[in-house]
Parts: sequence; structure tokens; C-alpha cells
Amino acid sequence: MSLTLPSLVSILVFPAGMFLILLGMVYEYVDRKLVARYQNRFGPRWFQPLADMFKLLAKEEIIPDGVNKALFIFLPILGVTAALTSALYTPMLGFAPAFSFRGDLILVVYMLSVLTICLGLAGANTVDRFSLVGATRTLTQLFSYEAPFMLTLLGPALAAGTLQISQINAYAQDTWWMILTQPIGFLVALIGLMGKLELPPFDAPEAETEIVSGALTEYSGRGLALFRIGKNVELVIGLTLISAFYLGGLANPLEFILKTLGLLLVIALLQSLFARLRIDQTVGLWWRIGAILALVQILILVVSRLFF
Amino acid sequence: MQEKVEKFIVPIGPQHPALKEPGHFEFSVDGEEVTGATIRLGFVHRGIEKMTESRTWIQNLYMLERVCGICSHVHGIAYTLGVEKLAGVTVPPRAQAIRTIVLELERIQSHMLWLGVAAHEGGFDTLFMYSWRDRETVMDLFELISGNRVQHSVNLVGGVKYDITAEQKQKILDGVSYLEGRLQYYEKIITTDDTFLGRTRNVGKMTKEEATLLGAVGPTARASGVERDVRVESPYASYPDHPVNIVLDEGGDLTSRFIVRIRELFESIRVIREILTNLPESELTVRVPRRIPAGEVISRVEAPRGELFYYIKSAGGENPYRIKIRTPSLCNWGTVSSVAIGHKLADMPMLLVGIDPCFSCNDRLVTVRQETGSQTMYWEDLRKYGVEYYQ
Repeated sequence: MSLTLPSLVSILVFPAGMFLILLGMVYEYVDRKLVARYQNRFGPRWFQPLADMFKLLAKEEIIPDGVNKALFIFLPILGVTAALTSALYTPMLGFAPAFSFRGDLILVVYMLSVLTICLGLAGANTVDRFSLVGATRTLTQLFSYEAPFMLTLLGPALAAGTLQISQINAYAQDTWWMILTQPIGFLVALIGLMGKLELPPFDAPEAETEIVSGALTEYSGRGLALFRIGKNVELVIGLTLISAFYLGGLANPLEFILKTLGLLLVIALLQSLFARLRIDQTVGLWWRIGAILALVQILILVVSRLFF
Repeated sequence: MQEKVEKFIVPIGPQHPALKEPGHFEFSVDGEEVTGATIRLGFVHRGIEKMTESRTWIQNLYMLERVCGICSHVHGIAYTLGVEKLAGVTVPPRAQAIRTIVLELERIQSHMLWLGVAAHEGGFDTLFMYSWRDRETVMDLFELISGNRVQHSVNLVGGVKYDITAEQKQKILDGVSYLEGRLQYYEKIITTDDTFLGRTRNVGKMTKEEATLLGAVGPTARASGVERDVRVESPYASYPDHPVNIVLDEGGDLTSRFIVRIRELFESIRVIREILTNLPESELTVRVPRRIPAGEVISRVEAPRGELFYYIKSAGGENPYRIKIRTPSLCNWGTVSSVAIGHKLADMPMLLVGIDPCFSCNDRLVTVRQETGSQTMYWEDLRKYGVEYYQ
């Protein structure tokens, strides 16, 4: 399905901008509610993420001593901008991406990492101990999941023979669901997304019982709200990418909603199943298992391309 | 530029999400590895020992039950056992049995609370929610017996306030049967779940010798294979008639502490069943004089966290002359600071919680007598010191 919009609308309203921010909140709500139900709790009410956001935006933003003020204010904005930008190249709601060019997959992966890097820098910018430890962990984790995650997105791209997201999406709709042909890649991608979003059990960078809130400890008010918006947006985009690549593409809004929410159901289950991994365990898991599995997947793909 | 080499210290507390009560810990870290640990306590010193001196023997019972919010009953037991010994009275057997039932129910309540908190520190919130949900069963049983969920206040000096009727007996039996099933499930989780074992196995390992040397008590000591359980060493209440089997584990690490605490509960459930089915018939109270004869007594009981120690001295009046309390958490702190070194920062919260610390209970003045430079402080000096310290 294609939808042509004026550039300004696509940047400010749909697919990036207001729509994505609201959708991010909806997904955050669904995620929190699902995890709560898995844990036998009631969970938040439907407007809780929205209320949180308004509360944070209305609150005073405290800029602590010892930080670079410009950087402190600029980093959350950059992070959210990067996350929103990447949405322009993804098949949001099943519509064709607003912008598209050859190799935009690489741009999107890069843009999604910018938020994490901003998070790490924001932590390193302060003098707070918890932030510094959190920043170190955030960046350590970035280096561990990033390579396997990228490799898993490369798998479908190799199968489709293009690095353009819209074409991979179209290819996925025509063939078998790639979750069947590349199951290892799907698994690593899903867990990679959880690592990227610092969801449990990969929440060592913001483990509240150790380092309070990790890199974001010193953030309050607007900065914190922006980082949270960025995280939510990243959740939606990550789900979109994985379902577009591995779950038979996204052709219309209904498919989009069903497939991404289905993925979210699985992610929420995984979140409530495990104890938090230590950062050294996380790194070990990714490099010893994740990266090798992803490489094996790519290898199988390449070999099968050569011979069949 | 001049390089300044300084220790990178991560302060935890007095206010920190990992701590449910105030305490201060400083971990000097090298990257993620902990190279040193110091503990500072005393943020919730309440002066309870001094307060007991100006209250009657009866009033003190209610105050001492408030030393700890989780194990209130065991403090009442330690106090009443001591006072009854001083007064030279024997509590009727039915009262002893009811006391013991509540003691063991309290152990179940306390260990399940700990299981949840410890799982939460390890980032395993699902186990936290589940164990606290099931803990409600015990809380309901407390409400059934005494009308109160937390401060049951079952004890009297010389007996108990509440009887257990046949109907209540059945409900308690049903409740503990349900819990037994749940606990078997939790035991399976803590011994088989890979991510959980990854956080607990070989963390905070303490040999039997170390545990003995550091004076560990309770489940912390038993997890290192030290046979230390007041219920077995010097049985009180109904334990002489219904002996408990000591639960030991040789591992010495966090996994063992989980295992010991959970297996202990199966033993508690067994004892509860045994006592309930053989509940003796008798009065519930015995008369105790208002003035307790002069003398001094040491009363030891096994709290959920380990040996609870009361020293009670009477000068023959309506008020005690002196009461000294030593709670098990205080004995176990030493194990934390010595085994912390060499572990990851991420292990610290679980290691701290591994001894099941109860900060408010153990915050009272302790003077370590050194060979030289020891000093004697009188109440006035102490007051002055306190005022100046907090200025």
C-alpha cells in the first residue's frame, strides 16, 4: 500500500512526529500491561504513559553541577530526532515509507544507534557515579548487541538482494515468511531488540537496585521525557522492522497492528521470564552465542545462494 | 596535566532504590569489580533499650514487639521467655504450642518476603510478585488468629491472648498445604532457572571456617554448613516436644542461602502440622506478678534471620533495670564486607540482601572494646555526644 504525503506532513505528523510519539506511548502501555499481567499484577491504566509524559514535560528540569549544559540539553533532542528520522524510512502502519533510497536500511540502523550513543554520552556528561557506571554499561551493551543485531537485519536483505527497506518489505510479502526460512536470525533479532531497548533481562545499564537509573539518573523533566519518547519510538520502529522482515512484510494497517502486537506479546513474556543478566554475562551471551548464531545464519544464506 | 589517582567509590544509601531501610555502603570499584567495601549503620537508632527502662514489664512487651516489623512475634517471645524465667512461672502447654505455631508461621512469612526482595534485587521481578502474592496466605492466617496482619501481638507475659479453634486449625492446615505446594515450585525455580543461577551460584561464597570466624548466624551460617540453630541447641516453647531438624547446605554461596531458607520452610510446615494435630488442652495464661523478682537472665531464640539474643536484668521493680538486645542482622554484617571484595558491582545488592538484613532492628549503640583506649561513657556524656554528632 502506498501513501504519498507532503514532506512536511510526513516529518511532523505521519509517519514520524506526533503520530509516532503517540503510537510509542500506546506500545509502552501495552508492554507494561502485558508484563504486569504476566507477573500477576494489574498494571497501569491506559492513559498512564501519556500522563507520565505530561507530568515530566511540566516539571522543572534540573541541570546538575559539573555538566556541560549545552550537551545536557542537546543530547535528548538529538536522540529523539534520530529515532524519529529513522521512522521516515520504515513501512509505518504498513504504508510505503515516506522516503526511500538504495541502502536506507543502513541509515535506519545507524539512526537507531544514535539514541543509545546519546544515552551513553548523557550519562558520561555528568559527574554522578551511578550515571557514569550506567553510561559505561550502556555503551558496553551497545557494542555487544549491535553487531549481531545488524547481521540479523542483513539476512533478509541478502535474501531479497537489496538494502532498501521498502523492497525488502515487498519481497517478504511475496515469499515464505522469513521466520520459517531464517529462524535463527529472527530469534537473535528479537533478543537484540530487547538488548537495544534495555528491557529486562538486559536492563543492567539501568538496574535500579544497583545504579538507581543508570545513565539517566541526573535527568529530570523535559530531558527525561524526551529520552523516554525516544525509547518508545525505538520500540515501535524495532517491532516494525522485525515484523516487516521476518513476519511476511507489512501490507496494510491491520497486518501492522497484528504482527507488531504479536511480537510485543512475545517480548513481554521474555521480559518476565528471566533474572537480570550482569553486564559481563550480557557481553558473553552476545559475543559467544548471539554473534556466532547470526554469522551462521548469514553463512547458510550465502552458501544456499551460491548453490541453489 | 597531573593525573590524580583516586578510588572510584559507588555509594549505596542511605537512600537508594535497593535499600528498603536506611544504611550506608561504600563500594570502591575498579570498573565493575569491587575492591573494597565499608558499611555504616545507625541511621534508624531509636533508643529502644533505654526506653524499656522507664516502662513497666507489660508495656515493654508491646514496645519490643515493635523492634522489628517483620519478625515482631519472635521479639515478644524472647522477651516473655526471659521475664517468665525471672518470675519463675511456667506457661501452660497450649499457650506454648500456640506461640510456636505463630513463630513458625512468622518464619514462613519472613522467608517468603525475603525471597521476593532478593529476587527483585536480582532483577527477577516475576518471582518477587509471585512470592509476595503467595505470602498473603500467611498474612491472612495471622489475621485469622489474632486479627492483625503484621503486629500480631499474640504474646502476653505468662501466656497468649488468642486461642486456636478447631475451625481455625483447619484453615491453618489448608493454608500451609497450599504454601507447601508453592514453595516446592519456588525451590524448583531457584535450583534450575539458568539466569537466576547465573546470578547466585558461586556468588558470596563463604566456607564453613569463614562463617564460623565471622560469627555468622541463622540461615547465612547454615548455608555454609555451620550447625547453628537455637531451636536445636537449646529448645524453647514447644520445640522440646516437637524437635526441628536442622537444615544445612554445604555450598556457602547465594544459591545455598536460597535453598536453606526455602527448605527450612518445609520443616516449619511439618512442625506446624505436628503441633496442630497434637494441640494440648490447657489454660492460655498463668498469673505473673507485677513486680518481677531481682535477677538477670539471658534469653535466646531463633529468629527467621538467626539467633536473637536478649539480656534482661531486673532490680525487683515494676520496670526492668536493663534490657540488651542483639539482633541476628548485626552478627551477619561482617560476612558481607569480607566476601564482597572481588565480586562485581552488580552482585552487591543480592549479596547485601543475602543475609536478609533488617536495619532498624540492629541499629543500637555498640562499643567494641579494644585493648587500649577504651572509654566509659555515662548517659550524660552519651547524650552530649549524640547532640554534638548530629549538629
